[in-house]
Amino acid sequence: MNIVVAMKQIPDLQQIRISNRRPVLQDVPLTFGGIDKSALEAAVVLKESLGEVKVWVLSAGSEELEDTVKEALAAGGDEAYLVIDQSLAGADSSIIAQVLAAGIKQLNDVDLILFGEGSGDNYSGQVGARVARLLELPLVSYARDIKIDGDTAQVVRVLEDCEEVLEVKLPAVITVLSDIGEPRIPSVTQILKAGKKPKQTAELDDLGISAGQSNPVITLSNLAPESNRKRIVVKNPVELVEKLKSENLIGG
Amino acid sequence: MDFALSKEQLMIQSMAREYAEKNILPVAQQIERENKIPDEILEGLAELGLFGIAYPEEYGGAGGGYEGYALAMEQISKVCGGVAMTISAHCMTLSTIMAFGTEEQKKKYMTPGCKGEHILSVAFTEPSTGSDPKQLTSTAVKDGDKYIINGTKRFISNANWPGTILVFAVDSETKRPTAFLVDKWCEGYSISEPWDKIGMHGGMLLDVYMKDIVVPAENVLGAPGMGYPILQLGISFGKIGVCSITLGAMLSAYEEALKYAREKMHRDKPIAKFQAVQLRLASIASLYEASRWMTYRLAWLANDVKDPVQFAKEAALTKTFVGEAVIDLMRDAMAVHGSYGLINDYKITQLWRDSIIAPQIEGVTDMQKVIAAAVILGNI
Ligand SMILES: Cc1cc2nc3c(=O)[nH]c(=O)nc-3n(C[C@H](O)[C@H](O)[C@H](O)COP(=O)(O)OP(=O)(O)OC[C@H]3O[C@@H](n4cnc5c(N)ncnc54)[C@H](O)[C@@H]3O)c2cc1C
Repeated sequence: MNIVVAMKQIPDLQQIRISNRRPVLQDVPLTFGGIDKSALEAAVVLKESLGEVKVWVLSAGSEELEDTVKEALAAGGDEAYLVIDQSLAGADSSIIAQVLAAGIKQLNDVDLILFGEGSGDNYSGQVGARVARLLELPLVSYARDIKIDGDTAQVVRVLEDCEEVLEVKLPAVITVLSDIGEPRIPSVTQILKAGKKPKQTAELDDLGISAGQSNPVITLSNLAPESNRKRIVVKNPVELVEKLKSENLIGG
Repeated sequence: MDFALSKEQLMIQSMAREYAEKNILPVAQQIERENKIPDEILEGLAELGLFGIAYPEEYGGAGGGYEGYALAMEQISKVCGGVAMTISAHCMTLSTIMAFGTEEQKKKYMTPGCKGEHILSVAFTEPSTGSDPKQLTSTAVKDGDKYIINGTKRFISNANWPGTILVFAVDSETKRPTAFLVDKWCEGYSISEPWDKIGMHGGMLLDVYMKDIVVPAENVLGAPGMGYPILQLGISFGKIGVCSITLGAMLSAYEEALKYAREKMHRDKPIAKFQAVQLRLASIASLYEASRWMTYRLAWLANDVKDPVQFAKEAALTKTFVGEAVIDLMRDAMAVHGSYGLINDYKITQLWRDSIIAPQIEGVTDMQKVIAAAVILGNI
């Protein structure tokens, strides 16, 4: 059985500083999105319970991916398929979906394709659905749990106020929530062996996709929300409680 | 010259940080209070390969080199000095066996240690001496193809855990210190209650009593009479551990001082706006950076020691600098906190107690200078 986990390379969110309401991305190390790491964990857990499973890590991005992918291979990925092109770093969801779908077609007998429900940086939440459409595969979103039995998957799908249990025939695309699994901490040995695991790299040309495609959606601004302090001064605890109540910060 | 950490090194660093923050931080106060590391933590560290990170896989290690070791220890110590100290004393013993052991000894004694099934110790210090090997009083009397060891060892880290203890005793033939691989808890081995020390709680420190312990002659490490050079080189590797632990405390104090300077208000301004506080923060940052790069360089040198004497000099210089820098840094971090720095609710108090240990162990700072000067001057 082949499980593909699509993971997006993003700046390490914990190390981004905000200056003048803009994120400073210079010198920020790259990593994979948090939900993508949970998707990988879900795949590795399936592998541990089912046995004969190969976990593929699929990613499209800039050349730093060659290093970043070691994180996924240390955390249990067996082999990586990377599409590397500088233009992919900030590319739109529709382009990324085409690239990933083309990448998946290069891999044989893929049974299950996992995505995070949204990427750690832009969180547009589109890529999984778009890939399912391009590959004409069924899609289940917001998965908290996946069980595999033969050629079907049973998925617990979490909605705002209810949980659905669905069954889907494989091959299928599933987008997962971070609740599906806490990413494991790899051991030193796993970290050091990651770079030695097999890895295939492709360029856009190899997949028949042209590099110059323009982004249909353009980000006009990306600012941290302004937070104005209210500068309320209180003289005593009683006044503090009153103020907190009037601001609806504690129960009436 | 390239000071950038490799992807693998960055991953080792964040792995140790993540483990420490997720698993050790929630029990750090408990360790501080009870002076005991929960078994799950030791098991978790072992699973991640942190008991044998620097050593080759053929001896059960993870093959991460000494830089990986230093990076991981710094992150663990940032959260709990005592946990890092336990690993440091253990690794000093492993490094010594790695440097002087026969193939058989390395396989036999290092493998369970690297896997974290054993926690190893070095026993040199005695009630009457820590700095001077000539004053060693423990004895090893040769009796056919075995030795009979007697004596008392003081302040021995990890003496309570099962595993190998490297005992230094004066043997009856060479009349010089010799290193013996001894199994803790063998017949004739007993320990005191743990010492109640100022900081690094969780790192166990005990006295060891040796009464007619019988060890086969094949358990001599190196050769009879070679104890002193063995100790010198072993302790030089040990200084990577002590310095990395110290870095963790420095980094934590740096963060605490920054946080406090930003939060504490005077006349509606954070005290970080005062130049006097800024100067202290800059000193803290420079002391940490200098210590960090000296320690990482020592770790890098340790991966391929060409000349043990020069390496001992580098280790002594690094330990001298880091051991003094941490005291200056803590003083500044404490000053930023004002009187709150004396209140035990603030982490800086614990960091202060933990870090005062660095200049006193594995050779006091004065001894480091004596060692370094002797190498620098050569035969005057
Ligand atoms: C937390 C901790 C962990 C430890 N772990 C271990 C362990 O695992 N194994 C182990 O064997 N020991 C261990 N020790 C012991 C430690 O290494 C010794 O205590 C240390 O080396 C100092 O020895 P001492 O206390 O006997 O000091 P001394 O040797 O008595 O030195 C006292 C002072 O005299 C001065 N002095 C002494 N000799 C000279 C000289 N020749 N030239 C100049 N000045 C000199 C020094 O300035 C020093 O400050 C540990 C200690 C602590 C606190």
